Amino acid sequence: MVDAARQPLIEVKAFTEVEKVEGFVGNFKVTLREKAKYVRADRCNGCNACSLACPIEVPNYFEMNLSSRKAAYVPMSQSVPLVYNIDMDACIHCYKCVEACGSLQAIDFGMEDKIVEEDIGAIVVATGFGHFDPTPMTEYGYGRFPNVITAMEMERLNNSAGPTRGSLVRPSDNRRPNRLAIINCVGSRDKRYVSSCSNFCCMYAIKNAILLKQAMPDMDISIYYIDIRTPSKGYEEFYDRAREIGVKFIQGRPAEISEDPATHQLFIKSEDITLGRVIEHEYDMVMLNQAAVPQPDQNHMSAVLNVAQSPGGWFMEYHPKLRPMDSPTDGIFFAGACQGPKDIPASVAQGSAAAARASRVLHSDTWQIEPTVAVVWEDRCVSAKGQACGICYRACPYGAINYDKGKAAEVVTAKCHGCGACVGECPHDSITQLHFTDAQVLSQIRTLLAVEPEKKILAFRCQWCSYGGADLAGTSHFEYSSNERGLRVMCSARMDADLIYEAYRLGAGAVLYSGCHPQDCHYITGQVAGAKRAARLEKMFERMGMSPGRFRTEWISAAEGDKYARVINEMQASLDAIPEAELKAEIERLKPEMAKKLTKLNQIPGVGEALTQVDFIVNEMLGKAVNA
Amino acid sequence: MNQPLTESLAERVKAIPGGEMLMMCFSCGTCTSKCMIQEKLEPNYNPRRLIREAVFNFEESAFADETTWLCSACDLCYPACPQKIHISGVITAVKQLAVAQGKQSPYQTARVDEKSCVACGLCVSVCPYQAIALVEKKVPFRGLIPVAAVDPGKCMACGMCSAACRSTSIRLDQEFNDPDIVENLFSWLESEAN
Repeated sequence: MVDAARQPLIEVKAFTEVEKVEGFVGNFKVTLREKAKYVRADRCNGCNACSLACPIEVPNYFEMNLSSRKAAYVPMSQSVPLVYNIDMDACIHCYKCVEACGSLQAIDFGMEDKIVEEDIGAIVVATGFGHFDPTPMTEYGYGRFPNVITAMEMERLNNSAGPTRGSLVRPSDNRRPNRLAIINCVGSRDKRYVSSCSNFCCMYAIKNAILLKQAMPDMDISIYYIDIRTPSKGYEEFYDRAREIGVKFIQGRPAEISEDPATHQLFIKSEDITLGRVIEHEYDMVMLNQAAVPQPDQNHMSAVLNVAQSPGGWFMEYHPKLRPMDSPTDGIFFAGACQGPKDIPASVAQGSAAAARASRVLHSDTWQIEPTVAVVWEDRCVSAKGQACGICYRACPYGAINYDKGKAAEVVTAKCHGCGACVGECPHDSITQLHFTDAQVLSQIRTLLAVEPEKKILAFRCQWCSYGGADLAGTSHFEYSSNERGLRVMCSARMDADLIYEAYRLGAGAVLYSGCHPQDCHYITGQVAGAKRAARLEKMFERMGMSPGRFRTEWISAAEGDKYARVINEMQASLDAIPEAELKAEIERLKPEMAKKLTKLNQIPGVGEALTQVDFIVNEMLGKAVNA
Repeated sequence: MNQPLTESLAERVKAIPGGEMLMMCFSCGTCTSKCMIQEKLEPNYNPRRLIREAVFNFEESAFADETTWLCSACDLCYPACPQKIHISGVITAVKQLAVAQGKQSPYQTARVDEKSCVACGLCVSVCPYQAIALVEKKVPFRGLIPVAAVDPGKCMACGMCSAACRSTSIRLDQEFNDPDIVENLFSWLESEAN
């Protein structure tokens, strides 16, 4: 951190909040709130005189409230930049600090928050993680029993700069504990609180055990665990070392900690899995290795940066394996645990990768984006004719569309990611998506349904998930009905209702509307728009009297090849259940109703022409096939 | 071991409502260390072990396990389970399968004295495990009459029926019948008085 502060090309803005992020890759406008420290950074020399003079003491949050600090303070001695700060919530305005500061005149009670706007090329988010508060787990008595502490409290107690200058004492009587227990998976791997594994706590428990054992070899340390996970290089050796120096490992998740109220000794009851017996051991002190959770303001940051969150609340990466450091928004990158719990080596690696990705942005004059961006037909946009609309503007998950009444909607191409949500939503068909224009998709539908359409299952698949699922079903040799005809669009949000109507108008037997699971969507909220539309269509078709099973909505991930095959087979079965004559009659009955909804289809630029050509090609090919 | 997977004990337990979550257990042992029966009554009682036995198809030992028969479905373990498995549901499912195979609880269950039962139905209404039903039965010297019948697969021997019965026709054997309890009570009172 000190190195970063010394580097002339790096500006450290401490005590500053991001208020607003606008613009797009290479051209972000970021509004920052530089909070008032009431101490002038250009004058303060970090001499500590104000802090010594200050009469107010409040709990020190940096020390996990285990010690106190003054109202004029720095969180820790290595703070960068070393500029003092006056906590106005605690300050009583005695101005003793002003006196102590003397001729430096660094303290300025008239200071106010400053709003600054900066031009930024790329953003790296490294906001870290928060800690699970074990208070709701009443069985472990955190908060009730003074000698039950959290991992972060242990971190401060065991730190040579901490409140006890590095000597480990138990909070009830300030005596050194002789028997210490560390409980792993407190809150994590627990479906009641945090269902995921927090990744680094096993190693953290072992590290603490080794550190303490080295300092106090006579200390009895036990680690309670469900599984010990030491997957990286050198980790298993570290685990071995802990065993060598006498750390005890007990497999079994403690059910309860009880306390002797007189001595504050603690008793842990757990089943020793290897013994198959319930055991109770006595300890002087217990450390709860609590789960890693997203920062408390992660939701707020997610809204400010317009990046999605994965299940569990972490920031969602572009691709979990191939692009873990990229956010779905170009020019915003992730480093470290804000994207998911990870240890120091992984965070450093991701940080370096994010920096490299960001410098790629900073060093380019041009930026390549996906070619599937949206384009507005300005002459067709009703907003240009003075109508209030803005549907595309509201549909865009990236805020890439500018909408003003009286002007045609405008797509900011650099921000567009090509999901097609705007295209799917626009009721006037006045916006389209390159490479997935209405003409192109309709041509595909027409080709796929050219022969015996009543026997076909037309499957709309999204590029990222259900298409991958169908692929996997193929490569895994999961058999599914050969009547399935797949069609790829970028996102379920692009699956325009018109496309579905057209499929039924052409006499399709069944239509599958498939995409990602909501948490997997590659376009932030694209799937949500798709799901809403699918639900609407489902209801409408039911009212029209369509047989159940002819329209189906399924969310299938790229890993669910078995599910894709199963869904298609089920659809085939429900299609087979309808007698052929009845099915044909139903299709014929619904055709005019579908056609009624599609009267404007041919007015879409390019559609009429494309369909004429498709018909010509299909007829030619079918003719040849029949002749051969 | 050669039987098809669908007929394995685990699959049969999963098919019974309550037993679905069986395979989610990662053997942390929280249920065992939370259990009051384990602590107060039977040290060998172990729900985690029973789940393992069911998962790995050790049918005989699962059906003979104390855990199968002693669980009172108090559900102390349920809110403690990090995998949210309804453990007493799984145990009840194993027990149902054991009963279906004709296995009987090695522990006592409530017993009806058919000579005096008047089929008032009080016991049926108080039983928390719905283990008692009124059935038509041919009773010696009384002919075909309705009497209470206890399902040993469901009875947990709590004694609610015995306490509710007005004709003392349903009771637990051994030390938990009325005279034994009264005797114990008096001996305890005497020892307190001295």
